[in-house]
Parts: sequence; structure tokens; C-alpha cells
Amino acid sequence: MTLLSVHDLHVHYLTSQGTVRAVDGADLDVPAGSIVGLVGESGCGKSTFGRALMGVLPSTARVAGGSILFEGRDLVALPERERRPLRWRRMAFVPQTAMNALDPVQRLRTQMLEVLCQRGGLSRTAALAKAEALFRMVGLDPRVLHDYPHQFSGGMRQRASIALALALEPALVIADEPVTALDVIVQRQVLDVLRDLQNRLNLAMILVTHDMAVVAYACDRVAVMYAGRVVESGPVAAVLEAPLHPYTMGLSHAFPDLRDTAAVLVPIDGAPPSLLTPPSGCRFAERCPFAEQACHAQPPPLIEVAPDHLAACWRSGAAAELRVRAMRAETWAP
Amino acid sequence: MTPAPIPVIAGEALAKTFRLSHRTVHAVQGVSLAVHAGEALGIVGESGCGKTTTARLLLRLEEPSAGRIRFLGDDITGRHGIALLHYRARAQLVFQNPFDALNPRFTIRRALTEPLRNFGIPRDEHAARIDAVMQRVRLLPAAAWLDRRPHELSGGQLQRVVLARALLPGPRLIVADEPVSMLDVSVRAGILNLLRAARDELGLAAIYISHDLALIRYVCERTAVMYLGRIVEEGATADLIAAPLHPYTKALIAAVPVPHVAQDRAALPILGSLGEAAPAAAGCAFRPRCPYAMPRCGAETPELRAAGPRRRVACHLAA
Repeated sequence: MTLLSVHDLHVHYLTSQGTVRAVDGADLDVPAGSIVGLVGESGCGKSTFGRALMGVLPSTARVAGGSILFEGRDLVALPERERRPLRWRRMAFVPQTAMNALDPVQRLRTQMLEVLCQRGGLSRTAALAKAEALFRMVGLDPRVLHDYPHQFSGGMRQRASIALALALEPALVIADEPVTALDVIVQRQVLDVLRDLQNRLNLAMILVTHDMAVVAYACDRVAVMYAGRVVESGPVAAVLEAPLHPYTMGLSHAFPDLRDTAAVLVPIDGAPPSLLTPPSGCRFAERCPFAEQACHAQPPPLIEVAPDHLAACWRSGAAAELRVRAMRAETWAP
Repeated sequence: MTPAPIPVIAGEALAKTFRLSHRTVHAVQGVSLAVHAGEALGIVGESGCGKTTTARLLLRLEEPSAGRIRFLGDDITGRHGIALLHYRARAQLVFQNPFDALNPRFTIRRALTEPLRNFGIPRDEHAARIDAVMQRVRLLPAAAWLDRRPHELSGGQLQRVVLARALLPGPRLIVADEPVSMLDVSVRAGILNLLRAARDELGLAAIYISHDLALIRYVCERTAVMYLGRIVEEGATADLIAAPLHPYTKALIAAVPVPHVAQDRAALPILGSLGEAAPAAAGCAFRPRCPYAMPRCGAETPELRAAGPRRRVACHLAA
């Protein structure tokens, strides 16, 4: 069952230099109870996408088109007054730096009680019991509820902000780079908490990240974003093992892998295009070693190329052959 | 038998204590390491393990509380003034964040001319040196880049400029502190390949500081693992990853996610986290988090001892 279905979403930032099309026709489906990784480089629009779903865009940004179907309602068409009750109750947010989610001058207990009593309508006693249960669930000692955020380590803060996000039992949690600022051991522990919660609460989650290895470890499905669009999506196994889009193929040789010994890393030459004046054809064409005439003329649509595996590439029919060529370093030479 | 070559840089029993208003932090406690020409050493560990402080001590950016630093055999621990400036030209740093490492008002040309002027390199050599280094970092044609300012460059291009600036004075030692962590995944490989090529072709000694073992494996033959101010294990990177001896190294390796579907999701062999574990009063600093701790670990601090060829480990279990 699809919990969230985003279709052709556009988000624009109005700047002094013009309109930045940060999200420019992105599609994403999130099945109930699954963790979907939203992966891409900085500036690809993945964080803006997450914020648009929550309806917490900065004042310079606006949703310029498309639909966000969540539990049967289109959030884009919904007035703010009707959207507000959904926020935190049905979908919650975990930001990258947990310090931003936690009030530095309030004890954790005060912050948990505020959410549980005022938004959740619980009595003080019930709310306290619930806060303790939530802390236990994310692997924190309930006694630290009496502490201030600055007394916490980075991993503890991230656990606390996950507990805060779960307070009202949402169906969907959007986590924006939740483990990026953490050390590798703490990162693993926080990812294990997220996976455990998904199993126990049948929670759906969008995990925004730039790290394909985090996706491989923690996610069921993945959507790869490039320059404001989703260029490939599907089950993690399919996308990692048989990528259909040249960008995904290039990424898999571009960063080191602990288990892979002799490999020479191959960067993708160039940089993503400006979103002020995006190219008219495929956005990756300029950096793509397989680009043909047609790629520069028309943007490819995101279509189902293999069962449950979507890609936006004019050459996806030849993906098997391109995968072989993408393995060779000279393919990507500038 | 040929005598062992003199390492480019060596730290001997280095220690650094920071006295803060309420407490004293023993950031580095008796670290000894050496790096030879053409060799790359990786230092890994969690935030707060002292890896950056160790590098800053070696670069003389921080005064050691105890211990000596030798550069090509010379003791440079007490150097100051002109003598220290000479050392600075020979030991250069590549910064983590290229967006902060360059003055936004300077053109690339001025950013690159500055170290040449500071180190007293004759003016008529400047243009040729800058051309050569731009070639090395593949910012070509150089003329197209030199009159730009940092805001016109992408992160990967800026990091190439930072690397070029570090190479200009002709260093023997390059220290790179998380050199690609601020860069996009698709361009990281380019910077790592340039660093590798510069080390190989110029015969530099290199020290990489990172929390990312996968990155260290790609660029360093040798790795030192630090925990709370001490080296707990050191050895050839491939051996260390294939067969870690210290329980902390084991946990660190188990925690690294790999970009494959098939991977080990078993619970980590480590307890709690650095911030939660109370520091051990005596004995092994890792004991509160170690699943294999024995009574001896609480009584006696394990020494860093040889454990096979070019391998050192500080653990009673591995003895």
C-alpha cells in the first residue's frame, strides 16, 4: 500500500538572480512501513524535497506545481489550517543537526511534555510515562530526560530528536541526513535504532542522505536525485546491483569501499548544472559518457524499465551494455 | 645491510594537555609515530580521539606538553622564528573545508602567490611555479582559473586550489585533515587521486586524518587507530582491516557501511558511545566499552607493543 505518492513536484526559490528550480518535476512513492532512501549530491534538491513534504519550506521558496498525496489527501492543495494538524501527528521530521531540533534552554523532559500534552492531549502523568517509554525505545536512559541538550553527545541528541519525532506516533518520518554528522560507530547505532523502529512500529521513513552505503545498510527502496529530479528509483538491491541510469552507475565507482581492495576510483567529471537555467534535455547529459543527440534535446521521463525499477534515461534500453562500459575507468575520462 | 632510512616526520611520546576553566583535557597521551618519504599514514578514530591534535602537534601549530618532533632527523620541537618558517614551507596542510580555506576577496592567483612571497621565493620564479602546480592539480588552462575568485569555483575545484597552494612551497610532508568530507561524492575520487599522484611523483610523506576507514584504505598503506588520545593499533592498512587485533578496531571496521546489498547487520561488538562511557580511572581507556574486558584490563594500562611485522597493538588480549 502506498502511503505517500509525490507526482511532478516543483519547488522554486525566488532569488535576486532569478528563479532557482530546486525541485523540478520529482516523483516518489513511499509504501507503508518501508524506509526509502533519497540520495543525491549537495544542491540536487533532496533536502528541499523533504521540507516541501513537511510543508516547512523557507519563506523564499514555494511549491510551484505537482501533487503530494498522503493518506489519500493532496497536501499541495490543502490549506495551511488543515495541514497543520497532520504535521508531527501524521508526519514528523528529524533534522541533520539535532541541536537545531532541540531547545538549548529547556530540559529534554520539558520539550517532550510540551509535544505530548499540548499536541497529543495527554495528561502530565501519562505524558511522562510515554516520554520515558520513547526514550527507552531509542536506546536512551529515561533518567537523561532531566538533562539539557548540551549535556548530550551527538548520538544521544540524534536519538532524542528521533524520540521527539515519534512522540505522536506518525505514519511517516522524514529524516534529513540524520547520521551525517556522526562518527561511524554512532552512525551505525542510530541506523539500527531507525530499522528497529520501522519493524516494531511499521513506520515509513524517508531517509535523505548523500551516502549510498547508508542506503545499502538501512533502506528498502531508494530514489536517486540529480539536479532537481528523481532519475532512478526502485528496490535497493536492484538499483545497487543493476543500475539503469548512468549517474547511478558512475556513483558506484566514485567513492571508496572498505571491502573493495584494488579498485581505482573514477570521479564523474564536471559538476551538476545550474538550477537557475537548467538544460533543456537530460540534466546529466553534459557529464554523461553515453549521451547522444536525443539526450540534449528532450528531458527523459521517469518510466518503469524493469519491474518496479524506474529510470529517466533515453538509453535505459541499453542499460546492460552501458553497465559493462561504466565499469571501465577510461569511459569516465574527461 | 643498508641503514634504515630517516623518516620525514617522527613524533616521539607526544602529549598535549588542554587546561580549560573547569577541567583538564588530555587530548594526546604519549603518541609515537613515523612516516617515511613516499609513504602515507592514515590516522582514524572518533571525534575527540586526538587525531587532529596529533597532526597539529606534528605541524607545530600546537605546542606539545611533552615529547619531541623530528623532521628528517632534526629535532624541531623548540624551533621558532625563521627556523620555524623554514619548517612551515616543508610541512603543509590541506584543510577540510575548501570553502573556508581561501580568502573570498583574493583571486586564485593571489591565493597562490601569497605562500611563495611568505617563504621568500624569488619573484621571477612565481609564474613558472604556479603554472606547474596548476598542471599538477589539473586546473587547465591555468590562465582561465587564475583571475577567478573562490565563489566562482565548485567545491572540488576549490579543493584543487587548496592542494595547489599546499604543494607550492615544495613540502616534504603533506597533512590532509578530512580532505574530501565537505565535497560531493562524485568529485571526491578526483581529489584523492590527485593527492595519491602528488605523493607518488614527488615522494612526499603524507598523513591523512579521517574517521572513514574506506577512504583511508584507498590512500594509505599504513594506518594508526586512535582512541582517547592514544594509538591503540597500528599496521599495514590491508592487514589491519582483514584481521584487526584491538577490539576497538574490530568495532570500527564492523560499523563501516558498505555499498552492497549483502552485508553484516549483526550488533556491533562495542558498548555505548564515547560520550556515554565514563572514562576509566586506571587501566585500559577502552575497557568501559569493551565486550572482552577482563580484570587485568582495569588494573594495568596496556602498552603499545609489537604484534607481528610492522604491527603494534595496545591490548592485553592480543598479547
